[in-house]
Amino acid sequence: MATNNVLGIIFANAYDSTIPEITALRAMGSVPFAGRYRLIDLPLSSMVNAGITNVGVITKSNYRSLMDHLGSGKAWDLSRKNEGLKILPPFSIPDSGDVISKISALYGSISFISESGKDYVLFADCNSVSGIDFADVIEFNAKKNADITMVCAKGMPASIALATEVVTDADGKVTELKKMDDFSKEVNYSAKCCIIKRVLLERLLHEANAKRISSFEELFAANIDKLNVYAYQYEGYIKVIDSIEAYYNASMDLLDPEVRKAVFNAENPVYTKAGDRTPAMYGKDADVKNSLISDGCKIEGTVENCLLSRGVKIGKNSKITNSIIMQDTVIGDNVELDCVIIDKDATIKNNKKLCGASNYPVFVGKGIVI
Amino acid sequence: MAKKTECVAMLLAGGQGSRLGILTKNIAKPAVPYGGKYRIIDFPLSNCVNSGIYTVGVLTQYQPLVLNDYIGNGQPWDLDRANGGVHVLSPYQQIKGTEWYKGTANAIYQNINFIEQYDPEYVLILSGDHIYKMDYSKMIDFHKEKNADCTIAMLEVSWEEASRFGLMIVNDDGSIAEFEEKPKNPRSNKASMGVYVFNWKKLREYLIADEADENSGNDFGHNVIPAMHEAGERMFAYQFDGYWKDVGTIDSLWDANLDLLNPKVDLDLDDDSWKIYSKPPVATPHYVGKNAKIESSMLNEGDEVYGSVDFSVLFANVTVEEGANVKYSIVMPGTTIKKGATVQYAIVAENAVIEEGAVVGKSPEDMEDITEWGVAVVGNSVTIGKNAVVAPKTMIDENVGGAE
Repeated sequence: MATNNVLGIIFANAYDSTIPEITALRAMGSVPFAGRYRLIDLPLSSMVNAGITNVGVITKSNYRSLMDHLGSGKAWDLSRKNEGLKILPPFSIPDSGDVISKISALYGSISFISESGKDYVLFADCNSVSGIDFADVIEFNAKKNADITMVCAKGMPASIALATEVVTDADGKVTELKKMDDFSKEVNYSAKCCIIKRVLLERLLHEANAKRISSFEELFAANIDKLNVYAYQYEGYIKVIDSIEAYYNASMDLLDPEVRKAVFNAENPVYTKAGDRTPAMYGKDADVKNSLISDGCKIEGTVENCLLSRGVKIGKNSKITNSIIMQDTVIGDNVELDCVIIDKDATIKNNKKLCGASNYPVFVGKGIVI
Repeated sequence: MAKKTECVAMLLAGGQGSRLGILTKNIAKPAVPYGGKYRIIDFPLSNCVNSGIYTVGVLTQYQPLVLNDYIGNGQPWDLDRANGGVHVLSPYQQIKGTEWYKGTANAIYQNINFIEQYDPEYVLILSGDHIYKMDYSKMIDFHKEKNADCTIAMLEVSWEEASRFGLMIVNDDGSIAEFEEKPKNPRSNKASMGVYVFNWKKLREYLIADEADENSGNDFGHNVIPAMHEAGERMFAYQFDGYWKDVGTIDSLWDANLDLLNPKVDLDLDDDSWKIYSKPPVATPHYVGKNAKIESSMLNEGDEVYGSVDFSVLFANVTVEEGANVKYSIVMPGTTIKKGATVQYAIVAENAVIEEGAVVGKSPEDMEDITEWGVAVVGNSVTIGKNAVVAPKTMIDENVGGAE
């Protein structure tokens, strides 16, 4: 099955509220991640690597930085005459209802979906970090001749709204979708990524709109007997970001070479907007251990177990440990930081100390001067 | 018909750069990697864009594959444009036969039609051999102000070095009194940078006359400029102050890279008002391992360092394994330096493999005879076997077997 027969749709704002600190000024999709990336780079690059050439990005609010990041889609080879990348801002049509849910957002973009002419639509969120290969999902779906294939993973579920446990028969056919309220035990949960026949999607959207159903989960559950729904069991690394702690852990996981290989493997590279920074510069007394360092950083001090985004400066005799420092933040001399997340363009002046805990990292907002 | 353009830049990128030896075996000199993430040609191209010149012809001839591929449609430099943009110009077949570019002037002569499309007032001639940041628009302003026919960028070099350059003796008003080409006893230390601004109509006349002259070597420095000078055209020298380095030799390429690690050197690549653009690799931030030690160095995306790196420039996707030692060296993209290997005072080209325990290069302090010392060079995709030794000042172009 030709993968360019699939329309990709990414929800750029889904689960914004799980990390309100970082999404106060931006959409989930433009949350900085792994130094040089934004979260949307992961699903977007996976789609491109799977051969998808038409991608719609559904936005709801605070999406200026997202638009700035995506631009024309050039970095993902999605700046094209035919198809390519389309940002889909909120679109109000008389029947789309007031509740802003994935369903109503899609209903607002239904003409984009039908005009694509594709046979299938693949959905993904931005708040999960994994090595899911969409090409495999698409192939699995075709092999099973499914109406819908949901990507599922076994393990501790993330505590997000509409978390769903997936029950299947021996063949992988989904028999039941259970709404979860207990997040303390390992289950087979929905990774919030699915592929669905386009014509069926349109019918379901109309149905949902008429019945005022606001979630896929409800919609699928209501039709589970009538539809041929399959579960694609993903076995590799996955982390769903449902809190600032989860964001912190997903970032720190990348210091493990195995995780890095799973998320950023060479066959399916992750693309991002070019920064045109200089290479990273290490000073005479720099001491860096177990860290990911991006272009344009200038390091004079000690850095251990950290992720530094582009253009971060670390002054002399400073000691930064277990922290995530975002773009262009400047850290002065004799500063000590431990378990801290610092947003873009912040300044930590000389001789300051900040200390959080790994299950409660301190967050310093964008542009703040300490 | 293209839109009229005030100034068209023509970048001479056809040279082999034979003094770079195996580094330019398969690529033209302007495509040689520099500074961790750049190629030499990024400097003149970025200078053009930063100077507001958006129409650039790049003249290629020697091994153009990598260069063509790298320039692509010019997007990394914002030169993918509806009007102007970057154009790769290689020699082509004509009704009278096919001709290679015989010299720098002939290369421009063969592309008169390209330049005419834009009907420019001025043509800026550049070479792809130097590392420098220069605002060409100021030079063009100077050219206009002096009502010149030709303006040559010059910089003052040290008197010891002066005899290696084409020199100019300059009058008080900035006009050029005399030229001296690599004289034994220099009378001036004002060297030509190989950057020229010409009035296009005037240059066109001289290019046609030069082509008609069978005795001419069709070179700007040797033929066209002396001819203009003899005919009494208005020739001026424009003084440039700042970092400028010819990276035509192994030693100068090594030096120019390490200059970036020296805070005293006046070449700031981290200047937002004058960015040097390049085509970025698709790679993650670089990873520094638990036992790694990195000092006074430049690292790039995709690097994985578990060993020690001191006073070196690592390009993208370089791996330095545990216990490996890299110092005073330039390591180009995709190269792997395995466990316990040492790379010192060396340039290692792209995708090479230095096997465990191998030693490349030698510190000048360890030399018995310092005159024997020089930078060691390992070529593209070469494997240096386990425990093998690569002597200083050598160039290794073929795989070297392991030693016991």
